[in-house]
Amino acid sequence: MAPLQKRALYGLAFGVVWAIAIIVVFIVKGGVSTFTEDQGFRIVIDVLWVGGLIFYGILMLTLRKQSQVDERDRLILGRAPVVQLWAVIFSMVIWTIVLTESYWDQGIPPIFMYLVFMSTIIVSAVAQSIGILIGYWRMGRND
Amino acid sequence: MTKVKNRIRRLRFDHDEMTQQELANRAGCTRQTIIALEQGKYVPSIELAFRIAKAFGATLEEVFQYEEST
Repeated sequence: MAPLQKRALYGLAFGVVWAIAIIVVFIVKGGVSTFTEDQGFRIVIDVLWVGGLIFYGILMLTLRKQSQVDERDRLILGRAPVVQLWAVIFSMVIWTIVLTESYWDQGIPPIFMYLVFMSTIIVSAVAQSIGILIGYWRMGRND
Repeated sequence: MTKVKNRIRRLRFDHDEMTQQELANRAGCTRQTIIALEQGKYVPSIELAFRIAKAFGATLEEVFQYEEST
């Protein structure tokens, strides 16, 4: 396994755990209504989100230092943003449809701006790793 | 499969069973790229192709061949 491929795999594994942890805590603690009212809950989510982002950054930087990247890896890395872009667009479409359908009458609560932004960052990080892994898979198939 | 063929596996054998890692170190790429090249799953840049040829002390044509489709 190429060092960049390994890095992407670690990134994907962490990203999935990170996203699930935030979703589980969010649901268990009471969801949107509690999130709006309870500052302590917001701090917990902030710590999970920002802490995860910092950890993800440190993990990627540490692995980058340890791994050699050559022209084939750079080619794959250069194509990964396509997956990232589509994943972000797809998540935006989902958010837009779900929010407009759920809050059409009363208006979308401003708290969702925060949740949409947070989810976009996480989706973007995870999708980059997926893009890299797809790149290696496709190159392995010699497409 | 790609139309650019190579003799990397054969040349490694001819150079005292040079390991893929050793060739990768000499050519400045990863071992996984050498594996992909040997399997015909990747066509290198002209620069890497020259570096691989140099690692064997061979010309570009001795390492890489272009097969014209009929």
